[in-house]
Amino acid sequence: MTTIELDEVIVEVAADGGPSRRRLLGPVSTRLTEHRVSVIGANGSGKSTLLRLLNGLSLATSGRVTVAGRDVKTDGAAVRRLVGFGFTDPLSQLVMPTGREDVELSLRRSHRDRDTRRKAAEAVLLRFGLGHLADQSIYELSGGERQLMALTALLATDPEALVLDEPSTLLDLRNTMLLRRALTALPQTLVFATHDLEHALEAERTLVIEDGLVAFDGDPAGAVQYYRARAEALG
Amino acid sequence: MTTGRATRGFGLFGSPVPGHSLVHRAPLWVKFGFVLLVGVSTFVVRDWRVSAAVCGVVLLVHLASGLGLRRLMRSLAPLLPILVVLTGFQWWSHDLPFAARLVLGILAAYVAAGILTATTPVDQLLDGIVWAARPARRWVDPETVALTISIMLRSIPWIAGAFGDVRESAKARGLERSPRAVILPAVIHTVAYARRTGDALAARGLGDPR
Ligand SMILES: Nc1ncnc2c1ncn2[C@@H]1O[C@H](COP(=O)(O)OP(=O)(O)OP(=O)(O)O)[C@@H](O)[C@H]1O
Ligand SMILES: [Mg+2]
Repeated sequence: MTTIELDEVIVEVAADGGPSRRRLLGPVSTRLTEHRVSVIGANGSGKSTLLRLLNGLSLATSGRVTVAGRDVKTDGAAVRRLVGFGFTDPLSQLVMPTGREDVELSLRRSHRDRDTRRKAAEAVLLRFGLGHLADQSIYELSGGERQLMALTALLATDPEALVLDEPSTLLDLRNTMLLRRALTALPQTLVFATHDLEHALEAERTLVIEDGLVAFDGDPAGAVQYYRARAEALG
Repeated sequence: MTTGRATRGFGLFGSPVPGHSLVHRAPLWVKFGFVLLVGVSTFVVRDWRVSAAVCGVVLLVHLASGLGLRRLMRSLAPLLPILVVLTGFQWWSHDLPFAARLVLGILAAYVAAGILTATTPVDQLLDGIVWAARPARRWVDPETVALTISIMLRSIPWIAGAFGDVRESAKARGLERSPRAVILPAVIHTVAYARRTGDALAARGLGDPR
């Protein structure tokens, strides 16, 4: 399991036009060692802000984030090799016209030779059962196929951990189940944000984010219960 | 946003069409040389009949690579209005042979470049660019150059699509005549797209030094 550690992490941005700063997250201190961690919370609570810290997509204003002992701030490139990051919309993830080309792009770093790279890409696509869709334009794939393709491109480099920001939000029920099954089978450490509480329950540990703070941290059933109660109290 | 599909996937920057024609199998440098030659011909050739011949050859190569007339027509559609205006203007300001030479030259160069991008898998194109950028590797990482160019190629049709979409939604609100209602949102969409793409590349460590 890959250990992810946050130590007194705060994220702030400049508030419009003034010297004052707006706090989006923190202070958050936590140590994630579980195989599956889910993150839930209201819109705008700070889930994405938290997840983006985990592979250095954004950096903490203060505090420290480490993955497997490596500091995200000073050792970003190494952390990104360890941690794959998945966006809600696979179209922002896939930067090449077809799935195969996108997987090959992922592999450019590890496979300098084109023929071995092509073989490796083929193997990855077959492993995830996407061989028949590899050469189709990503715009012509269904939402579910596209999300699986994006996941495949992420997994091509064999990361140790995956951070997924609402991976099933754009999917229908069948594709959500398909994606969940694919995720369950992965050996990687997985941290994911979701509004699908059923999915959140499949984790070993759940964080509830509220106004940029970890409001609940513990077993998924308790977290979901807490989150529901809070939503009812507020609404 | 449902970026217009018709403007994407075809044209000069459309996605490659898999195939086994002679053109598909030709080495990249041959295809690139061909594009370069056609490009050079446009400002070397003085006689419009030679331009017509060059254009004819390019069209034959297009058909020989099995890309089909349909793709050709669709890729030319966005260019057509410009060519018509250009022909009229050059005819008026010079003469017909001059206009013909110019327009045929543009057509030939455009279609030739389209053949290159349509018959070459992106990965191979990237390798070619990496190879070509090697002499400059003391200053820039060739992989970064290749990635930049391929992202650029991918983005042009997207941006064209964004303008189409925005124009449609402006029309739905009866605002299609207002440049503000068309250009501003399209620019905002484009910046958002650029940020998303940048994020995606950064998340995958593609911009990291190796
Ligand atoms: N770059 C930024 N500049 C200013 N404010 C930002 C920025 N990014 C996010 N925010 C704000 O930070 C807060 C948290 O946003 P975040 O995207 O983390 O929420 P979230 O929990 O992921 O919400 P959702 O469930 O809608 O995805 C929001 O109020 C958002 O407006
Ligand atoms: Mg979010």
